[in-house]
This record gives sequence, C-alpha cells and structure tokens, in this order.
Amino acid sequence: MAAVKQTVDQVASLEKYKHGFVSDIEQDFAPKGLNADIVRFISAKKNEPEWMLAWRLDAFERWLAMDEPDWAKVNFPRIDYQDSYYYAAPKEKVGIGSLDEVDPEILEVYKKLGIPLREQEVLAGVVGAPRYAVDAVFDSVSVVTTFKKELAQVGVIFCSMSEAIREHPELVKQYLGTVVPVSDNYFACLNAAVFSDGSFVYVPPGVRCPMELSTYFRINAENSGQFERTLIIADKASYVSYLEGCTAPMRDENQLHAAVVELVTMDDAEIKYSTVQNWYPGDPVTGKGGIYNFVTKRADCRGDRSKVSWTQVETGSSITWKYPSCILRGEGSSGEFYSIAITNGRQQADTGTKMIHLGANTRSRIISKGISAGRSSNTYRGLVSAHPKAKGARNFTQCDSLLIGKHCAAHTVPYIEARNGQAKFEHEATTTRLSEDQLFYAMQRGLSQEEAVQLLVNGFVKEVLQELPMEFAVEAQKLVAISLEGSVG
Amino acid sequence: MLSVSNLHATVGEAQILKGLTLEVPAGEVHAIMGPNGAGKSTLSYVLTGRQGYEVTEGGATLDGEDLLALEPNERAAKGLFLSFQYPLEIPGVPALTFIRTALNAQRKARSEKEITAPEFLKLARQKAAELKIDFEMLKRALNVGFSGGEKKRMEIFQMAMLSPRFLILDETDSGLDIDALRIVSDGVNALRSPDRAMLVITHYQRLLDYIKPDRVHVLAGGRIVASGGPELALELERDGYDRYAKAA
Amino acid sequence: MSVAAAIRTRDVGELPSRRDEDWRWTDLRGLIRVLPAPSESFAGTLAAGPFDRLAIDHHVLVNGGDARIDVAAGKKTLAALRLVSRGAGAHASRVTINLAAGARLRLLESYESDGASVCQTALTITLAEGAALERIVLAEDHEDAVSVSQAEVRLSPTSDFGQTIVTSGARRQRIETRASHPGGRASARMDGVYLLAGKRHADHTTVVTHDGVDGTTNQLIKGVARDQARGVFQGKIVVSEGADRTDARMGHHALILSDRAEVDAKPELEIYADDVSCAHGNTVGAMDEEALFYARQRGIPEAEARAMLTEAFIGQVIDRIWFEDARRVVRNWAAERLRV
Repeated sequence: MAAVKQTVDQVASLEKYKHGFVSDIEQDFAPKGLNADIVRFISAKKNEPEWMLAWRLDAFERWLAMDEPDWAKVNFPRIDYQDSYYYAAPKEKVGIGSLDEVDPEILEVYKKLGIPLREQEVLAGVVGAPRYAVDAVFDSVSVVTTFKKELAQVGVIFCSMSEAIREHPELVKQYLGTVVPVSDNYFACLNAAVFSDGSFVYVPPGVRCPMELSTYFRINAENSGQFERTLIIADKASYVSYLEGCTAPMRDENQLHAAVVELVTMDDAEIKYSTVQNWYPGDPVTGKGGIYNFVTKRADCRGDRSKVSWTQVETGSSITWKYPSCILRGEGSSGEFYSIAITNGRQQADTGTKMIHLGANTRSRIISKGISAGRSSNTYRGLVSAHPKAKGARNFTQCDSLLIGKHCAAHTVPYIEARNGQAKFEHEATTTRLSEDQLFYAMQRGLSQEEAVQLLVNGFVKEVLQELPMEFAVEAQKLVAISLEGSVG
Repeated sequence: MLSVSNLHATVGEAQILKGLTLEVPAGEVHAIMGPNGAGKSTLSYVLTGRQGYEVTEGGATLDGEDLLALEPNERAAKGLFLSFQYPLEIPGVPALTFIRTALNAQRKARSEKEITAPEFLKLARQKAAELKIDFEMLKRALNVGFSGGEKKRMEIFQMAMLSPRFLILDETDSGLDIDALRIVSDGVNALRSPDRAMLVITHYQRLLDYIKPDRVHVLAGGRIVASGGPELALELERDGYDRYAKAA
Repeated sequence: MSVAAAIRTRDVGELPSRRDEDWRWTDLRGLIRVLPAPSESFAGTLAAGPFDRLAIDHHVLVNGGDARIDVAAGKKTLAALRLVSRGAGAHASRVTINLAAGARLRLLESYESDGASVCQTALTITLAEGAALERIVLAEDHEDAVSVSQAEVRLSPTSDFGQTIVTSGARRQRIETRASHPGGRASARMDGVYLLAGKRHADHTTVVTHDGVDGTTNQLIKGVARDQARGVFQGKIVVSEGADRTDARMGHHALILSDRAEVDAKPELEIYADDVSCAHGNTVGAMDEEALFYARQRGIPEAEARAMLTEAFIGQVIDRIWFEDARRVVRNWAAERLRV
C-alpha cells in the first residue's frame, strides 16, 4: 500500500498547510505508466459504454502527437508521464448515495476537512442556514453525492461524471468536448484520454437551482495524477451556483492535476462558478513537492443574454497554470472573472482569463488581484478580444499586483485585440508593494505586524472575496491569511 | 416659442415619454419638476437631439420650425442651449478654444460673420468677470479637473457667450453650494429677456427661489400631469410627488 | 533570425513570423514571399526632409548605409537624420549615436520611402552620465513599404532620454526601441503617436529594463485607426531584482474610427523588485459619443467636432515634446492627416 501512515496528532501539528495529512485507505491502482491499455483499464473499471472508450482512445492518439507547451512564465523539470498512476480508487465498492458503505476512513478525511457528507449534518444547523449539496471526489472517483433526491425533484441532475455517462449518455454525448475540444491543448487532451471522474450538472429550463452545488476534490494517493472532468449545462433561463474546493497531502514528489471544466449556458441562463484551490504548495523553503495544477476551464455562453461568472481563490499548488475563460457567443451575453492568486515560498502561478467577444453587445469584466511573497512568482495573463461581429462589446479589466518581500516577482501580461470600431475596452493595472505608511499606521494603533498585513491584504482582495458565496468567503479570507503567514519580517 | 405636442420617445426598448405636451412662450421661464425617472432628462435630450433617444410620435418646434428634423449642432445654431446635468470633460481642448469654435460654427450656420479674436477675448473677459470666473481657468482644458460647481459655472459662461434664445437647464442646482447657486442664478437671470425663454428642469424647489418661474409643470410617467403658477412648486416641496406618481 | 539577416541573405526564412511571440501582430514571413533585390544606389536629388529647416547637422542615408553622430562632452547640437528609401529594393542602415558626459542632442529623425521597399534600420544610442537626448521620429512611409526600425538605447545614471515617434504606418511597419535603464535618477520618456488610414499597419514596440535604483520611465502612446488600418502597441517594462524605487507609468489609448480597423495591444509589466510603483492603462474604443454630443449641442458640426476631439486626443502626446519648433512641425503634420 502506497499511502503513508500519519496520525491525527501530526495533522494538528501542521501549521502552514493544515490539509497536508495522508489517509491510509485501501486503494485500487491501475499499473503505473500510460499507454492505450491503461486507457482501456480506466474505461473498463468504470463500466463505460463503447463510445466513451473510443472517445478516450482517440484523445490518447492525439495526445501522443502533441508537445508539452512552454510559453507560460513557469519553470519545472520535465514531467515523466510514465512515472505516475492514472487511476487510484478506494477499494470498497461504493454504492452510490449509500453513505454507510463508504470507507469510514474516507468519511474521516472529509470530516477533518470540514466537508459535510451527511445531509443531516448540513441540516442540523440553524433553520434557514445556507445548504449546499456536495459531490466528493477522492483521487480518481466520486465517493458520494449528497442531496441528489431533493435536486431531482426540481429536475436538476447532479451526479458524478461516471454516473452521467451511464445514466444520461444523450446529454453527455451532446455536450462533452464541445467547449474544450479534445485536442485543445496538451493537458486537456491528456485529460480526455484518462479522466477518471468529476461532476456533472444539468439544470433544466427555467429552474433556479435551490441550493449551492459543490465538488470537493482530494488527492490522497502517492504518485498519482488527478484528471477530473466537470460538465455543467444551464439550460434556458436557469441558474446555478457551483463551488469546487481542492486539497492534497504533503508529499515530496510532484503530483499532476490536469482537470477540464466545461460550462454551457443557453439563452438567459447563468452559471456562477467559484473555486477555492488549496492544493499542497510544496515545501516553502526547498520548493520540493506540491501539485502541478494545469487546468483548462472554459465557458461557452451560447445563449443570448446568458452569463458566466468565474471566481477563484488560488492559494495552493506548486505551479498553477489556468485561464478560466468565456466564449461570449450569444448576443448580449456576459462573462466575469474575479481572481485572487496568492503565491508564497517557491510557488509559481500563471493565471488569468480569456474573454472572447463574438456576439454583439457582449460584456466582460475582469478583476484580478495577485499577491506574491517569499521567492514566488505570480503572473496575470489575459486575453480580451472583440471579433468584427461583436459590435458594442465592452470590457473592463482591473489588474493589481502586490509584492511582499525582495525576492518575489509579479508580472502582468494582457493581450488586447479589438477588431471593430464599436468595441470599448478599458484596462488598468498597478504593481505596488504593501505600503509602509499604512503598515505603520495600523501598527501604531496596536496591531501586530502580521495582523496589519492581514488587514491590508484583506482590503486589497475585498472586491473579489465579495463575489464568493458568503460561507466560502469567510473560509477564503482565512486561507488568504494562512497563505501569507511568515511572509513579512 | 417652444411648442411640444404629444411627444412620445423611447430609450432603447423603454418608452419614457408618453404623450408630453408643453408650450413655452417667448419671455417666460417654465419649470419642469418631477420624481426621479419621470423622464425629465429624456425630455432635454430629445429636444437637443441626442443619439439613442428615439421619437416615436408627436413633435417639437421652435418658433414654428421643426426641431426634430435637425442635427444637434443645427438645433444649437437655432439658439437651443442645454446646460448639462453632468457637463463633459474635454481633455486637450482649452475652454476658450472650444467656445470660440462653437460660436463661429453657429455664426457660420446662421450666415453671420465670424467673431474676430480680439472681439472674442474682450467678450470672454467681460462675461468671466460677471460670473466671477478666473480668466486663467478658461485657458485650461474644458472642465478637466474642475469641481462640480466650477463645471456648472462654466456651463453658464458658455451660455452667456453663445447667447442662445431658448435655454434648457437640466438639474443645474445639483452639486452647488449656496454661493455658487447665487452666482449661477444671477448669470441665468441676466439672460432673461422678452425674446428668450427657458425651461428649468429640477427635482427640488430650491433653485426656483433664485430663478423665479412663470409656470410650473409636473412631469410624471412621461407626461405633464399638472401645471400651475409658482405656488405649485411650494406645494410639491411640502407634499412630495406621491400624488402625481400615482396619477401617472 | 532577424530582419537585417533576411535582407542580407535574401532568405525569407530569416524573417520573423506571427509564431514568434514578439511579432504575433506584425507577421513579416507571411507577408513577404520573396525578398526584393538589394536597392540600387541613388543618384538623383532629394526633396527637403520634414525637419531640414530646424537642424544644424544633416545626416542623410539613401537606400542604406552607415551613419554616426557623436556629441562631445558638454556640447550641444541639433541633428536631422533622414533614412530615405527610393525605389522598391531591400536595404539596411546602421546608425551609431554617442553622447559623451553632459552632451545634449536634439535628434530629428525621419523615415521616407516612396515605393514597395523593404528596409531595416538599426540604431545604437548611448548616453553617458548627465547627457540628454530628445529623439523625435516622423515616419512617413509609402503605403507599399515594409519598414523596420530597431533602436537599442543605453542610458547612464542622471541621463535624460525622451522620444516621440509619430507615424502614419506602412504596408507593414515596426518601430522598436529597447532601452536599458540603470536608474540613478536617469529618466526615460517613450512616447508615440500613430495615425493610420487605408490598409496601413504600424507597430510600436518598446522594452525598458530597469537595472538600478531610482529610475523613472513614463510612456504615453496614442493612436487613431480608420478604414482597414491596424495599430499595434507592445510595451514592456521590466524591473530587475534590486531596482528599488523605480517609478514606471505606461499608457496606451487608441481610437478606432471605422468598423473594420483593428488595434492590438500588450502592455506588459515584469517586476522582480518590491519597492516600486508601476502602472499601466490601456483603452481602445470608438470616440466618446457623449463628448461628441456635448460639442454638437454647442453648435459644432459633427465632422469638425470629431476632428477637434481627435486632435485634442493626439495633442496630449505632442504637447510632451520638449523642443518647441519640432512640436509645431509634428502638430501640423498630425492636423493635416486628421482634417480629412
């Protein structure tokens, strides 16, 4: 068994990265390495229909012909794709929705992470407290999805991707790979070949999803990659708010997380997608270990007046490389991107968004707050483009970077392409350090240096935190503080 | 002078004016009061010809001449002046250059002779002094970095320089302290004459203490719902717009 | 791979293409199928250049060649530098400019082509301590010309470098300035204006690298694109580790005055020091309709109001030219092109 034993006491002693514990859970692994047989193995493990296997094998063929990209401002040793496990699942066969059959160790993991998997735990709170449904993905598989019945009553489908492929093949076939094509990029292509699980959401026309949906991703196994795939479809005039959270144990070797998220909005529909990403960032001094977070997230605003809003709080991972984007195809559709990216220690982040205005009167708004500390590097990279037909397209971008310390780096790389005379793009960016005057002012009033930094940083990121669902905003604010511990002084 | 009949106008998809009728004879000052969103600013933009304000029915004439068929600058040359609620900043164009360009364009449109530079400067100095405007300010880019009060004073200065026949004051009192309000009102009152008329658009009665109207109209729901003498403004100040909002 | 090498070897494979990140919006390989033969030497007489009447020293390169301008310590001069292309050949020019300590130079540079030439100019400009250089560039290329100008500027502490590049574009045109900035109270101004019509293209690319403490850079680029023209701005400010108290501002603002014109911009900051104040702003769009309406409400006809507002928009860059006589030449040049 690959998992390393660690006690709960050790967990409590982990100050910096409190989700760094490893759980000893019996698991099934696919043999190490990557070839067409592994792809077949994954597909067979999940009892997939023939068309799905064909899709995966096609992706694998294409992937073999592609080269790893190198344009981002990140540095890392070449990844050995043969030295990783592409499938890891808890051993017990998990009955969908039957929580009692889930390995108690797994339940313990989620309890430690503060994720409610028992519906009554959520309900036990104060009457009127916000409720949210959870899909828990543990390494390669979804272990449980809560509140499915209640959601089904209003027609909302919320289940694991594996289940969707079996139970809703017509929807999966219709939408999978239509936003992020199989060979879109190197990592998305790899994902298409070996993706293990993820969440699937379909909200029918006119339905406002009655609760927040969320997926909680956990990488546990050693030497394993996680390749989840999420697909959310908001049909006409529907609304859904979705949140994903991610953690992983502290390990010395790097683990690859190459997810794909596809969102589709039809006429008048809206998806609000929030991410709190706290994968293990690696050792703050040596930079050893940590997750490579190479993710492709894209929304296709197909319908007129449809809307997608991405909010992300990126504090973890040793390398983050992601650009949640919006294709604004529908007339009057709009896209938003709110981001907080914090790097400390030896972390590297290259993140931003693409707002591609294709339809008339489309709108987009980008608010990005980057904070670099330690010896980290933090890059905002973004594209705003208006095509000749996108008359009346509007974009506003505000892109601020804060530097804490002498050895970190902050970069801003916006691309702006206006291809018609009726588009209006505005972009502002600033790079500054934490103001000593403000720090002194706060400390003179009695705050410690750490408290003062926290206070000022909270002010800096407030605009983005406000976009998160309330209960997560509080959590995210704590995360911001933890991520910057030890960065001053 | 100004005659508006059964005016209907849309902004985008929204119908804002729904059959507005109004007569303002030469020599008179009329006030238009009304709740927020009644269509007060829309009326001023429709009369001056702003893009995006679509007239769907009805008409408006100035001295019998159809206003709606004219370009904004042609209406200005006919003597129609709008004092903007939020005057625009024009970076890179000194106020004096802007006003002289406008004055000569209007004169040209009326087949009058252009004003000479010395004549123009003399006039500008005189009017600036009357309005207590620092002449140096007129050399700066128009309205750029000016306070709210300075911008409003600059509107009145342009009004004095261009000497229009029909004046529309759109919320001219907003953002003004008492001293500025007095200076601005004095400037406006100085322009009162038997061959000029004014339409004073305001939410509050306060401005009408300084610029005394002959008639007061209540605009609600896109139409004039009540008209009366100056006492109507006082009544509105006391009782609010609720009664009229309902009537609309 | 470089434009100069392509001209020398006549190998189009040497030309940069849109696959090169730095040339993504100024593709030369996709445009030029065959490089023209080397330009012949020119024997005719030239008409006056745009700055002839202002300059004391005159340097004229027709269809390539080398030029050198040296200004001795504490001396001051006013030089016109004309880079002229006659005919449809290919050629490269090299210009070396040295300012000794405390020297001052006003450099009035012009690019003048009259046909489908392909030309490249490499300038190496060095400023010693306390030197001051104002470089004013007027690029009046032919609509069929392909023109690339690449300047390397080395500043020293306490030197002042200011440039204003004014261009009406070409079939494809790139004007590039790479400045190494030592800080030490040296300052760099990197301004530019592009006024493009027809199918013309102009690319302003600048990179300023701050390597020492207490440096300032200020940049304002404004452009107007009409018809099917394309304006490109790539500005990059790098602040190296330790280059504290760097103050760098970059602004790029463009008006697109037709449905089919295009403006591409990449204002980039690459910062490795924490005690800095850097900012950039970028706006692209149509003319402000509210300002236009305001001017028309005061009686100014539409065409005149548009010209007035466009001139004022561009004028904010021209006003930053220190040398008043050159400012006047540039302002008239711009007005002629805007009042159409």
